[in-house]
Order: sequence, then structure tokens, then C-alpha cells
Amino acid sequence: MWKRRLTLAILLSLLLILTLVPVQAQEAGGGGTLIGAFDVGPGGAPKVIPFMDTAGRTWLSKIWSPLISWNEDMSALTPQLATEWSANEDSTVWTFKLREGVLWHDGEPFTADDVVFSLNLALNPDAATAFPGFSSLSREKVAAITAVDDYTVQIELTEPNPRLPFFMIFAWVLPEHALRDLNPAEYQTTDWFFTTPIGTGPFMHEEYVADQYWSLVPNPNYWNGAPKLDHLINRYFADETSALVALQSGEINFTYVSGDVFQQLQDSGYQIYDGPSGVTNYVIMNLRNPAFQDVRVRQAFLYAIDRQAITETVLKGTATVVPCISPFPNMWPDASELNDYAYNPEMAVQLLTEAGYDTAAAWELVTYYSSQFHQDAMAAQQAFLAQVGINVVPLAQDVPTYNSYFYTGEGWDLSYRGVGVNYGNFPFNFYEPGGQPTTDGEPLQGQSFPELLDLIAAARVESDPDAYLGLLQDICKFQNENALEGYMWTAIRYGAGSDNLQDFYWFPAAGGGPYEDHAELWSVNQ
Amino acid sequence: MTKYLIRRILLSIPVLVMITVIIFALMEVAPGDAVDYFRPPDLVMTEEATQALRERFGLDQPAPVRYIQWLSNVLKGDLGYRFTDGEAVSTIVGRRLGASLLLMGTALAIGVLVGVPLGVFIGQKQYSLWDFSLTGLSFLGISMPSFIAGLIALLIFSVKLGWFPAGGMRPVTSEPTLWTTLYHLALPSVVLSLGFIATFMRYSRFSMLEVVRMDYVNSARAKGISNRAVTWRHIVPNAILPVITVIGLSIPALVVGAVFTETVFSWPGMGSLYLEAVRGRDIPLLMGMTLVIAIFVLGANILTDVAYAIVDPRIRYD
Repeated sequence: MWKRRLTLAILLSLLLILTLVPVQAQEAGGGGTLIGAFDVGPGGAPKVIPFMDTAGRTWLSKIWSPLISWNEDMSALTPQLATEWSANEDSTVWTFKLREGVLWHDGEPFTADDVVFSLNLALNPDAATAFPGFSSLSREKVAAITAVDDYTVQIELTEPNPRLPFFMIFAWVLPEHALRDLNPAEYQTTDWFFTTPIGTGPFMHEEYVADQYWSLVPNPNYWNGAPKLDHLINRYFADETSALVALQSGEINFTYVSGDVFQQLQDSGYQIYDGPSGVTNYVIMNLRNPAFQDVRVRQAFLYAIDRQAITETVLKGTATVVPCISPFPNMWPDASELNDYAYNPEMAVQLLTEAGYDTAAAWELVTYYSSQFHQDAMAAQQAFLAQVGINVVPLAQDVPTYNSYFYTGEGWDLSYRGVGVNYGNFPFNFYEPGGQPTTDGEPLQGQSFPELLDLIAAARVESDPDAYLGLLQDICKFQNENALEGYMWTAIRYGAGSDNLQDFYWFPAAGGGPYEDHAELWSVNQ
Repeated sequence: MTKYLIRRILLSIPVLVMITVIIFALMEVAPGDAVDYFRPPDLVMTEEATQALRERFGLDQPAPVRYIQWLSNVLKGDLGYRFTDGEAVSTIVGRRLGASLLLMGTALAIGVLVGVPLGVFIGQKQYSLWDFSLTGLSFLGISMPSFIAGLIALLIFSVKLGWFPAGGMRPVTSEPTLWTTLYHLALPSVVLSLGFIATFMRYSRFSMLEVVRMDYVNSARAKGISNRAVTWRHIVPNAILPVITVIGLSIPALVVGAVFTETVFSWPGMGSLYLEAVRGRDIPLLMGMTLVIAIFVLGANILTDVAYAIVDPRIRYD
């Protein structure tokens, strides 16, 4: 009898354990500790706070959630705290439906009041956040932000903005109940964000050690499911090389890596994550200089440089040639409508001769890029251009120096630079008079093109997504045909992770996104 | 001595003010400001927003107004806030200063404890195998850039052998202890100490060779004093005086930090912070650091003079 009872007890115990297993899997934790250098590379920015960020959003989104984010590969928007959004006919009133049942890390319920509070704070001139700079919004352009009910927010604008949701990816939501007493003028100097921050993101603040790391623990109430990791840690490094050494010594599980080292890591068994940078590298020619006003000179510039060869050999296949300022193929017209400006030095010489270009002239090619990747690319450009009689001298400057004069339109003839472009955020204001603080009031490049301005004016107010995309393609065609700028390439960016990472996802979104990375699913095999 | 010290301290005050004026003026003539640094060229940002930030940072005010405002705040004990992230300058400098003192202090101590005895040793064995070998190594120590030495050390001892951490000041999954601090400190401090060892060894050797030929040393030997006694009573105390000068001149490095070594080892010290401040045109941070470093350097110079008087009874300042 006792044997039967013992067998029954064992079976019941096994049954109990088996039933417990899935319950444990649903709870937070158990997935180990993931240490990453999340703020190394172009998308990172250590120690940023919501609304003051120009990058670093991959990490910010672990604690705070925005209303909306990019999807996994930045091809479309995806709901975060806002589940759906719609506009009136002229896109002046936007309504955002919010996710119900979301809790702040301290257990308080998330409501529309939090969204209203956050947006008002971000637009408050006393707080002087970076949000207006990136969102194309300012206090003057927003008539009212209203909580219609607990889970509906309405934004009334003073002018149409059909692309507003694309700027709401920068709209982090902060807890009103925790920050309502904060003086907006002290927004940037408060230590709340590093001592007792509260968000709705997948992870909760555990410990911030300045200049060293930021440690998070899983949020068991995360609306998309409790994260599997026990700890998520962001370690700070002074540069990419230091982070790479830490990855290779096994101290961290993930870091951004440059295009010249990813291959070596891939061969060594590391997991590689890659994607388009969303940044187009191009040479902007200052049309205030008569030498570049003739379209034949600008076309010769493109024919003279073997862009395909540079991307394949100098940049080792980590970049692809672009036909216009847009880095994404869906924003290009059909290839038959584009000139590929295939390498043709004879054609370049012919065009320069016809245009009467002075081959004795020499121009500085200024840049703010300091990486070897871009230095090599510029050296190759210099060599190709010299062969057809265009003499350029690359000159690298630090970012403040470059920014201090570049946007005035003065002090430069040629500049090798990059610009982040995507479907929702197109640099229209580069091409419009008054769009940049140029001294002469002309567009950045120094000349207006009526046909281009018409296309931009139409695109700015077009609310139909397909029609808008068509206009972007028309802009691309115009830029390509007129060789408005020297369009070069868009780079692929890389991240490298240890082989024990499970379901980890990283995408090199400009500024770190934010994008959907399903951090709740990440784990590390111990 | 007391009068001398008071005079030196009082003279240091106008020097301090001049240093801050010069640094402030240099930052003013440098192209670009903190907002130009904040604005990433790859991202499209509206001009209104950049202007709002400029006003927020007070950069729309004339330079003399901003300097006087900064100086009056300093007199009230307020060093201001870092432009880039709003952290109090006094907090950052305090934190980074501690890290630099630990790293540079350890490296300097290793440099003195190893370099000076080695210099004394080879100073007595001129043209021996020891002399040639250590002098040769000292050339290597002086001429090798510290970031190269750092990267080589990291690749060998961290990546290949796994003996030491690949940077940072403390573990991230546990509380720091004395042991973990020493563990993180070992590699960067030894790498940094190579330069100090080489420098102090060469100075000590040279000084020993100078003193060993002095008449009073010959007199001591003629009296029949043992070799050891001549060395430690007559040669070393006199040879050490110029070495103290060199060590004293190295003391400012304790607070200035080591830019490249700190970067390679992700050691959050003053060197890398200074670079960040200049790169970011972060005037409050730069001015705060300059003030602290200048006070330290002027203080170190006064202390070196005091040390002279203690070591050499012939030197009197009153």
C-alpha cells in the first residue's frame, strides 16, 4: 500500500512541477543578465533624458515608452502607448487612442493625463527641450492638447501636418503623478531621471552609476508581457574600440561595431545584426559658387566618381549607391526613370569642357566625419575627381566648428556629409528659402528650384500615403536629373552579439529609433 | 616659512583669475558653441529650436557678462551645470577627480617606487649589462604612446588570457570592494606607470652619476667609509634632490589625468572629461575643471618648494 501511495505522491509532485513551469515562464526574470554597450556608435548617446535626446533612444525605450515607434525594420509605424491614431480631413486635428490597463513602474495607472502633461512639458519654452527641434512642432503650432477621456488624447494644430504620427515616436510619456511639481526650468538639471525614474517600459530602474553603467530589472506589469531577463545593463565606453575589447573578452554581450570589423567577428562566431543606417552620404555643392551652377559640372562630378567601386572595395560592401537624397528604395522612382551616373570619366571631362570649368581651381571638401570609413571614402573621391580635373582637398572639422558656419551657407564650397531621411521625416527645409538660417535667406545650397519647391509644397500637405510617396519619388527624380547634389551612398551599420544571446534584436535606426525590438523576449543562455 | 607660504598663496589668486580669463577667452574664439555640438549634422532640426536652446544655456548673452556671472557664481560656491546633460559641475568634477587621483596616484607611486631605486641601482653600475638593458627599456617606456601600450595590454591580458577586466572602474553585477577596485586598477595603472618608471629611472641614474663624481664623495671614500654608507649617506640624499623636482612636476598629472589611457580603459577620469568638455564647447564644465586643476597645480608647486626645504637644510625661504 505504501508503495502505491509513494508512487502516487511522486506522480502528483511531477504533475505539480509540470504545471508550475509555464507559470514561471510567464513571470519576469529567469533569462539571465544581458550587458550591452547600447550607447556606443552613431545611434547612442550616454546619459540622455527623454525629450533632450538627439540619439540614445534604443536605451531610453527600455524604461520609457513613446506613443508610437518604428516597427522592427523601420518600414512602418507600430503602436506603443497609442494603439491607433487618426486625423480630420485637413490633418489639423489628430486623435490618439491609448492603450488601456498599462501601469507605471510604481503601480499607478497610465492615462491620457500623462500624455497631455508630457507633451505640454516637452513644448514648454522654459524646459527648452530638443523635442520641438525634431518634431516640427512648437508651442505656436499646437492650438491645444486635450484629454478627451482617460484613454483618448486630441492634438489640435494651427496648420496641417499629415505626418504628425511620425514625429510622435519622439513623444516619450512621463508620469504626471511623479513630475507634476517639477519646475519646467529645472527639467534638464533634475536628478529624478537617474535616481527614481518611473516609466511604462519593459524594464525598471535599478541602479545608475555615472560614467559606468545603468542597470535595469524587468517590469512584471509590462503591457506586452513580462521580460525574460533578470537584469539588463547598459555599460558606458569611451569609444567603440573599448567596447569591442569588452565584447571579445566576454564582459559584455552586445555592442555596435563598424563595417571594417564585423566580418572578422562574424567569422569568430559572434551574432551579427545589421540594417540600413537611414543616412545618405552626399557631397553638397554650394551653388553660390558660380563654378557649380552649371548642371553639367554637377553631373560631371557624379560621372567622375566610381561610386560602385568605392562601396565595393574601399567600403568593403558595407554601403550601397543612392540616386538621390533618399536612402530607401521605396522612395525612389522606377530605375528606368533615373540616371545611374555609371562611372564614365570621358563623359565627365566632356561635360566639364562644355561647361568651361576651370580645372586649375581647387576646393576644400569639408566634413565633420572623423571615422576611417569616411576618411577613406573621401580620399577615394579626391583621387577620382583629380583624374578629370576637379581638385578637392578633404578637410575634417569637429562638429561644433562645422555646424557654426555650415548652415549659414557661407564659408564652404563643397561638403561631404550625411542626412537622415525617412518616409516621415524628409529634409524639405534644406531646399526651401528660409528653411535654414542662411545669411542670404536662400536655401542651404544657395539656389531655389521652382519645380522642386512645388513638389515640396504639395508633399507637405498631402495626406494620402500613396500620393505622398509618389511625390517623394518625383522629388528623387528631380534631384537625380539635375544632379542637385553629389549623391553617394547609404551605409549598412552593424552590431555584434555573443553567441549565447537568445531572441535578441537590434536595428541600427538613426538616433536609436525608437523601434520595436521586443526586449521582453530577450534572454541569455547562462 | 609661514610668511613665504602666505605670500605665495596670495600671489596665486590673480594667477588663478588670469588662467580662467585665458581659458574662457580661448573657448570664445573657438568656432561653434554647445548648441552647435548638441545639434547632430545628420538630423534635421529647426532653427527656432536651436535658438531656444541657445537662450536656455545663456549663450545669447555677451561673453564678458557670462564670464562675470560665472565668476560671481563661483564665489558663491556654484560651479554651474554641464550643458550636455545638466549635471552639476561640482558633482562631475568631484567624481572624476577621485577616479583620476586613484589611477594617476597609483601609477605615480609605482613609478617612484620602481623607477627611483632602479635609477639608483644602474647609476652605480654605469656601462654594465644592467645599465644598458634598463636604459634601453626606459627609452621604450618613454617613447611608446600609452594608448598603444594600453591596447596591447588589453589584447594580451584581457582578451587572450582573461586575467584582467577589459576596462571600467568596477564590476557591474556586484558591489565594488577593495579587491575589485585593485583588480580594475591593475592594468591601466601599470600601463601608465611605464612612462613614470622610465622617466624617474633616467633622472635618478643621471643624478647619481653626477653626484658620484663630487669631491665630497671622494673625501668620504678617502676616509675609509664603507661603500654602502657612502652611497646611502652621501650620494643618494644629494642625488635625490633633482628627482624630487621631477616628481613634483608630475603631481599635476594626478588631477589632469591621462586622456588616451582613460579612453582605452574606459576609466572615467579628468583627462577624458576635459576632452569631452572641449569637444562639446561645454564652458561651465571646462571652466570648473580649469579652476580645480589650476588650484591643484599652484598648490603642488608650493608643496614642492616646501619639500625642498625639508630635504635640503640649506634651503630657507624666510
